[in-house]
Amino acid sequence: MIIIAPYAQKLRTSKENPKNYPYWELLVEELQKTMHVVQVGVTGEKQLVPDFRTDLPISALRELLWQCRTWIGVDSFFQHLGWDEGIKGVVLWGPSDPLIYGHPENINLLKGREHLAKNQFLWWEATEHKNERFLKPSEVLEYLKV
Amino acid sequence: MQPKVLCSVATRGRYFTTLPLVLNAIINQTKPVDKLIVFDDNDEPQDMRKEMIYSYFFQMLDAKKIEWEWRFAGKKGQHHIHQAANTEGYDWVWRCDDDAIPEPNVLENLYRWVQPSVGAVGGSVLTLPYIPDTSLVSGKIDNIDNEPNIQWGNIKVTKQVEHLHCTFLYRAGVVDYNTGLSRVAHREETLFTYGLRQKGYEVVAVPDAVTWHMKNPQGGIRSETKREMYEHDEQIFRNVLKYKDHTIVVLNCGLGDHIVFSHVLPAVRNPLVFTCYPEVIQGRPIAEAQQLFGDIDTWNIYKKMDQWGWKNNLESAYRKMYL
Repeated sequence: MIIIAPYAQKLRTSKENPKNYPYWELLVEELQKTMHVVQVGVTGEKQLVPDFRTDLPISALRELLWQCRTWIGVDSFFQHLGWDEGIKGVVLWGPSDPLIYGHPENINLLKGREHLAKNQFLWWEATEHKNERFLKPSEVLEYLKV
Repeated sequence: MQPKVLCSVATRGRYFTTLPLVLNAIINQTKPVDKLIVFDDNDEPQDMRKEMIYSYFFQMLDAKKIEWEWRFAGKKGQHHIHQAANTEGYDWVWRCDDDAIPEPNVLENLYRWVQPSVGAVGGSVLTLPYIPDTSLVSGKIDNIDNEPNIQWGNIKVTKQVEHLHCTFLYRAGVVDYNTGLSRVAHREETLFTYGLRQKGYEVVAVPDAVTWHMKNPQGGIRSETKREMYEHDEQIFRNVLKYKDHTIVVLNCGLGDHIVFSHVLPAVRNPLVFTCYPEVIQGRPIAEAQQLFGDIDTWNIYKKMDQWGWKNNLESAYRKMYL
């Protein structure tokens, strides 16, 4: 089983969080061919797989982490939780800087530092969501094979 | 490279009384400042370039190659002005009152204390008739209700203290002024210098650095008289004293930040934690921190990382803030 934590916290505006990976559907389609995928998140988020577990308490998420082979997420609290539990995973980075917010124990997939937001410390509401900041699913899958 | 000194003067209602004396004294220091900013907090600010005496000041500053700026302030109180100076990017800030006139050698003698271990240094701030000798004053924060401020007298020997007032030279960008205080900013400099002491820096009262504090009855940055404002600020000050033996931790941030901080917490000395996610880190509610200490933005890790130009990871930033 693999966990996906596809979305960062909702912004205080209607805009999409710029840290959200834009190609989850394609990536999940490929992942589901070989393994059971569990999505974790909160009520209201888009469901990507049949097994979608919402609003789990932290303790339940910690337990779930111990049952998975690995996890894939974006720059959200979940990458910190996986690191805290010592369960290595894959983080799909966009505008936020893995050198500041990431953990070297994870596989941090960043398309390029030129795509990082200029100011890393503002509210993310101030940063536009752009698909081109992220790696394509085919590139992500290459890393997963490794 | 020598550490750079910004001189900040906050002024209100004293264009034509004591402010010219103060500016003249700053211009004629034996150790020149690197920049002077006059923060004009007047209700009806004027263009002082049109005033002959001020145009002479500006010409003298230019002639002495001292950078200067006249900046209109936001009328929120002098603590906001001092915080602006504190984060201006200079190594040290010499804060001067608009009715406190330094003798020509003050900055030169304070600057001798610009050393790695020192956070703030101040000399005598004398109002006539002044106390001839304050050598018995401890300068400890616990004695603040029982002794005069060491700077009120003619300081004859160097002494390590825990707080200063009025005018002093301080290491910039280390601790914040408490912008949660009211407009009168009662105790702002005591809280600030004690904050430097709590960070582990020496706070020093030194001889041969006399400033004459005229306490001009008109004007002044602290001209508010509302009792409630003083009471509000005094309560914050008392709360800081009450919890002074703790490291105050305020986690007004996201869940992931709490998880990262949980790796730092075991190394924090005697922590008193205020938290948004008690299921990750136990503690008291954030609202209580705001009530106790006024301003909790000083614990905003993102603001700090921005201020520090941070390139390292989040955990290291927390370590810098709390250890």
